[in-house]
Amino acid sequence: MYAWSDVFLVFLVLTNLVLLGSSRLVVYIRVSAVQGIVLGFLPILTHLHDATPRLLLLTCLGLVTMGVKGVLFPWLLFRALREANVLREPRPFVGYIASTIIGIAALAVSLRVGSRLPLPGEAFSTLAVPVGLYTFFVGLFLVISRRKALTQVLGYLVLENGIYTLGVALVSEVSILVELGVLLDAFVAVFVMQIAIYHISHEFQSTDVDRLAKLKG
Amino acid sequence: MQALLLWGMLLVPMAAGGACLLIPSARRVLDVAAAGVIASSALCAGAAAFVFARGPIFSAGGWLFLDALSAYHMLVMALVFSLSGLYARGYFAHELDAGELAPAQARQFGALFCTSLASMVLVLVSNNLGVMWIGIEATTLLTAFLICVHVTPTSLEAMWKYLLVCSVGVAFAFLGTLLTGASAHRLHLSTSDALLWTRLRAEASVLDPLSIKAAFIFVLVGYGTKAGLAPMHTWLPDAHSQAPAPVSAIFSGFMLNAALYCVLRYLPLVEGATGSPSFCLDLLAAFGLVSIVVSAAFIVFQHDVKRLLAYHSVEHLGIVTLGFGLGGVGTFAALFHTLNHSVCKTLAFFCAGRLGQRHGTHDMEALSGTLRTAPPWGGALFGSLLALIGVAPFALFMSELQILRAAVDGRSFWTLGIFLAGGTIIFLGALRHAVAMAWGEPHAAPAPDHPGALDRFLAWGPLALLLVLGVWMPPPLGDALRQAAMVLGGGP
Repeated sequence: MYAWSDVFLVFLVLTNLVLLGSSRLVVYIRVSAVQGIVLGFLPILTHLHDATPRLLLLTCLGLVTMGVKGVLFPWLLFRALREANVLREPRPFVGYIASTIIGIAALAVSLRVGSRLPLPGEAFSTLAVPVGLYTFFVGLFLVISRRKALTQVLGYLVLENGIYTLGVALVSEVSILVELGVLLDAFVAVFVMQIAIYHISHEFQSTDVDRLAKLKG
Repeated sequence: MQALLLWGMLLVPMAAGGACLLIPSARRVLDVAAAGVIASSALCAGAAAFVFARGPIFSAGGWLFLDALSAYHMLVMALVFSLSGLYARGYFAHELDAGELAPAQARQFGALFCTSLASMVLVLVSNNLGVMWIGIEATTLLTAFLICVHVTPTSLEAMWKYLLVCSVGVAFAFLGTLLTGASAHRLHLSTSDALLWTRLRAEASVLDPLSIKAAFIFVLVGYGTKAGLAPMHTWLPDAHSQAPAPVSAIFSGFMLNAALYCVLRYLPLVEGATGSPSFCLDLLAAFGLVSIVVSAAFIVFQHDVKRLLAYHSVEHLGIVTLGFGLGGVGTFAALFHTLNHSVCKTLAFFCAGRLGQRHGTHDMEALSGTLRTAPPWGGALFGSLLALIGVAPFALFMSELQILRAAVDGRSFWTLGIFLAGGTIIFLGALRHAVAMAWGEPHAAPAPDHPGALDRFLAWGPLALLLVLGVWMPPPLGDALRQAAMVLGGGP
């Protein structure tokens, strides 16, 4: 099953590149939903070779992940999209072509760093740690370089996805309870951010974060 | 019995928060919030006293525990929250009288205030490093809407920055948590034992040194963001200045310390794995010094009293971090300074909040002459600012002196020099503001209000406590400090 998990991980890399080069918010949300579904498969694939009670638990975790990251988050974000009435990320602080090039460079760095880290050999795929790191960096880059509040939330989600991948890869022994707690936190975070966007778009008639620049010094 | 206490500390504030949502009258909501917070604080203090007398408490298969370090922080938390709960009742009552607070806003405040206490208790009682992280992230999410109890453009801006900077920052800490788990791969821990601090601590020498070092860097940057250490402090002045005063008080008085506490948990692990404490301590000292220097630069040029206090938080968290970084006596002094700063800053935000309500602004120019026009708050604000800049014989002076001694003992003269230079700039800069506010020519003086007995207690009580602690260390407190410092391998 190792081959399959590699396919999913490579797919994750491709979705990140789409995010970096896209300007339409609808595309952002759909791609993040696809990422959520892909992530749901990862914990199941790690233990597919032995049919233990742990596999059952991990399958449950995978299904919950798909439900939350693949369905619930996109739904919340589409609602925020309608409320804020924005369709595009018009003028990001870093352009799309530059973003894509930075993304490819980050991929090279992640592959290099990820394969050098002295980590336990039990990771289910040699690609998992580099791809997790890469997704983390792409999320971080999106938070920093985009102007719309909604895109920043998506960046935060992508960053969470990177952590989730690393969590599955590094510590296959992390308790399911902790994983579920992290998922719950992410859910509340997106929920809170969605409400915040609603207030911001009402108060400022815009969700450009560079309007939020009154408090200084 | 003790296990019940641990669960009670978590469940009582959650129940109080839930109750706040159901009560129609805004005044009753504030009463329930204050009562709930005080009841939970009493439980926390009881549990802490038990730990100091008899040793750590465990529950839930070892997932919940309380040792001397967390018990000490729990005492600080109990003090800050019960004072803030009492103060919030009076503070928001003024806004209700002025028609500036709707019942729905009061319910929102009560519910989030109580549940944020529950999340901070979760941080302190979790033995599992992953659950501890969940607690810290929960404090961010629960307190975000406390910043904008009053929805204004500036409060929304502060809230958005807080939410995003802290969520992203704390994500780094989770990466550190995962790396810590990965560094323990030679221990072959079972699923329920992985990430348990007591297990990792007991077998720290088997942890992979390189992974745990990398983990510590991520943890320090991540939780350091939440603790307001420079240069990751950018959210802090905005959030502290825009939040209502009782919220600023718990932010500065305890939330920052809760995040720093999480970093402290990793010190014995890294020390055990690498065989020497110097890696962590040097990093802590460096972040502490940067925070002191950065805050000094901003304190001199402040106009807004709450922003001034916010930068003082960066400074004092820097001093505490520096103390931990010096080790030995420094650890003891840093823990003592934690208590002193929390009490002092809680008081300072109380005063700034009430003065701001009376004058309708937090601009220091407008607040000049408040020593005469607005007792007791003007007087207490002056007193607390003096304590914050390290005037003797307040307790903050004593703990700072001990940190200086630790620097001399460790022969780190560069550290000593930078600390003293930063402290001097802050002393002069803040003293100028404090004197202008106390004795300046009063502008339009609003009608004098009549402070009740509770107001006077809230204004003078903490200041009296700081004076007493400055000249006399009660033996039980000294013992608690020594036990807490021992967990970190430091102490006189």
